[in-house]
Amino acid sequence: MNISKIREIMAQEGIVFSFSGMISQQLTSFMVETAKSQLEDMGENAKMTRNMFLIAIEQLQNVMSYSKEKDIHHGNRYTSPGVLVIGFDETKHKFYITSSNEVVAEDQEKVSAKIDAINAIPKENLRKFLREKLRSAEDLHHRGAGVGFIEMAKRSSEKLKYDFEMVDGKLYFHILTYI
Amino acid sequence: MENFTSTYLHTYKQGDYTMKNMSIEATKYTPSIEFDATSRVLSITGKSYPENTFEFYTPITEWIKEFLTKFSEDTILLNLDLEYLNSSSLKAYFDLFDLLEGASLKGASIKIKWLYDEENDIAEETGEDFIEDFKDLDIELVVK
Repeated sequence: MNISKIREIMAQEGIVFSFSGMISQQLTSFMVETAKSQLEDMGENAKMTRNMFLIAIEQLQNVMSYSKEKDIHHGNRYTSPGVLVIGFDETKHKFYITSSNEVVAEDQEKVSAKIDAINAIPKENLRKFLREKLRSAEDLHHRGAGVGFIEMAKRSSEKLKYDFEMVDGKLYFHILTYI
Repeated sequence: MENFTSTYLHTYKQGDYTMKNMSIEATKYTPSIEFDATSRVLSITGKSYPENTFEFYTPITEWIKEFLTKFSEDTILLNLDLEYLNSSSLKAYFDLFDLLEGASLKGASIKIKWLYDEENDIAEETGEDFIEDFKDLDIELVVK
């Protein structure tokens, strides 16, 4: 174990908040509230911190709902392993939020098509697009409206970046958003 | 844990019908609910980003449905003061507004106040979206 290596990576990537482990609703709340206070302490404006807060919630709730491995508790509560990182990109001069979780192979095509479709929509039309989706309820499932990526895209300053990576026979989904 | 404390304190009676008030305490990620059947003021205040949004909102929507069925002639005032909504909560409010618009078109008198902090652009935008999408509802944006 080399903790200084981890510190080095954190400094390089401008990481202000990171978590790796079982993600639950309690922890989601704790993490987004903590990251929000951290950004406020750094003097970031209210709009930026609100966007960060909302994007982080959508990413964490996606990890909980769509991870391959999850513990399902009484009352439809999930905990799932995942990684969340919030940092500041020095080159872009922007904050980023990124997360990673293991997914099932069948999700790759579905998720890619969904994000590609959202990325093809000009930002100014996303507000209307989200409302249409909410009304039609076509992506509705028992834990959500299936519109988390649209909400992330609305709150981001760039298109959603994502990829799927196979590591040791496990398929991971990564998403990266810039505020 | 995610146990929403719900209490029904008082009962409102009018004619043949009775209705219990609904009161739910806020948590870190669910708003407080104060539905007073007597004064017909329904208030929802706080943050809303639960993981099981529909489980949280179903009893609330059921209460409103029942109230509208029993006391359709009374004006209802709905105060919504929601600082943060995750996407599934947004869906829950779209559904609630659908229900209210339907009732309104059948003659129910419903006033909605959408309250927000001046610097909360996101909450303001959400309120504007509701006004645009639910033209038959009386929705007023109110800066706190």
